[in-house]
Amino acid sequence: MKKLIIVGFIGCFSTSCVAVKQYEKVYLNDEEMQLSAKGSERFETNFQVYREAAAGANGGKSGGGCGCN
Amino acid sequence: MALRPDHPITKHPLSLRKITILSLLLTAQLGFSQQDTSYKKRVLESAEIDLLFSYYGQDGQNAAVTGGEGSEELTDATSALVVRIPLNDDDVLTADVVISAYTSASSSNVNPFDGDANRRVSPFSASSGASRKDVLVHFNPSYRHASDDRNNVYSANAYIASEYDYFSLGFGGGYTRLFNEKNTEFSVGAKVYFDTWNPQYPMELRDGFFDSRTVGIGSYTPNFAEFDHERRNTYAITMALSQILGKKWQGAVFMDAVLQKGLLSTPFQRVYFGDANDFFIENFQLADDVERLPDTRFKLPLGGRLNYYLSDTFILRSYYRFYYDDWGITAHTASLEVPVKLGNAFTLYPTYRFYSQSAADYFYEKEEALSTFAFYTSDYDLSKYRAHQYGMGLRYKDIFTQAKILNFGLKAVDLRVNHYDRSDGLSAFIVTLGTTFAGD
Repeated sequence: MKKLIIVGFIGCFSTSCVAVKQYEKVYLNDEEMQLSAKGSERFETNFQVYREAAAGANGGKSGGGCGCN
Repeated sequence: MALRPDHPITKHPLSLRKITILSLLLTAQLGFSQQDTSYKKRVLESAEIDLLFSYYGQDGQNAAVTGGEGSEELTDATSALVVRIPLNDDDVLTADVVISAYTSASSSNVNPFDGDANRRVSPFSASSGASRKDVLVHFNPSYRHASDDRNNVYSANAYIASEYDYFSLGFGGGYTRLFNEKNTEFSVGAKVYFDTWNPQYPMELRDGFFDSRTVGIGSYTPNFAEFDHERRNTYAITMALSQILGKKWQGAVFMDAVLQKGLLSTPFQRVYFGDANDFFIENFQLADDVERLPDTRFKLPLGGRLNYYLSDTFILRSYYRFYYDDWGITAHTASLEVPVKLGNAFTLYPTYRFYSQSAADYFYEKEEALSTFAFYTSDYDLSKYRAHQYGMGLRYKDIFTQAKILNFGLKAVDLRVNHYDRSDGLSAFIVTLGTTFAGD
């Protein structure tokens, strides 16, 4: 299963050799398609950083700067 | 093609030099003239202001301050002001100020003996002591520069935060490179935080504590020593790779590597040992010690996002993260958000997030740890549990910014409501209201 996920993942990213042109990015440029967390999510991320052991890999804090976990 | 030795140009080196200089001048002129006439879109068209408010509430019965048993009731109100100013076509300066005020039943019990005759001292009730509330202020300025072709982005930021028992100073920098016709983006960054505790120990563990109401077998003489260092340093490296996968979908992978050193224990979180006598003042059990955790911690979160533009009405936003640290915790986080476009102005956001983690090697329920152990905590945030978070958001967007306040037009309003349930009984909710204004 793990191998399948890895192969699938590499497969997805290997399609990059077919570049989408700038004028073809109308759907990708939609605000909801952004790959970073939204600004309005920051407080939710903040309480999760305090209440959960795991943090990071989402653009938010991954430790430090607060007396959190 | 090589020139023959008798070629006029090779025969007359001066002519060759002249031609070279002329070519260089022509190339430079062409280059400058291209720069002059090419259109460069500003990174940020006009100044923007975000105003954000949130209200958070939680309750549970496993407060770490009272050794894993006691009220976790807490409310927090936070306001944030974010100002983004374009300095020129390429540079943006951002200032982010946050003020957060909380009231907490558990932290009030750092000193539960407030002398209130109408209140029976208990870990399940809040005291009126000074530690029941606090204010956190933080300031986060950042600067961002994009190259002319927008394929290279450099950033730098600073961070300063202060609350009664904690102070933090941080710095960071990052670099982003776009290539493959801006279909691929690679980012790398680094951050350091230099934090300092102003340790607040449980009242009964402080020097000179005496209360005639203390009951138990023998005398209350905990084997407690204050921490000999108060600093906590954090070093983080972040990496991200995002890729356009087709006209309607794109994904990204993220990795952070974080090393923390110093005082990683929270000085006011009590621990009760299984091999020590119990002492009480009314219903409140006196601490045997505070939590003791290792001085280093290495964290490795790996995450990925995949977004798919399903139709003009529905979009799928998914996220997954695996987390590992050397305290024995592994965690999985998965979330799905489905923005539903209701016309041009409104979007509805149903969201669901699942989280699970294993327990830290040093976690023990109340009175399970022994006084002979090197490390122990009864902080349920480090225990094994699962959590579900359900939410709904509504966004209003006006690209023409018709509603005005002074010289700023309302660009967007976001309202989000989320409910959080943990398998150990903790529940929480958070309401967030965000507005974005754009300058004329």
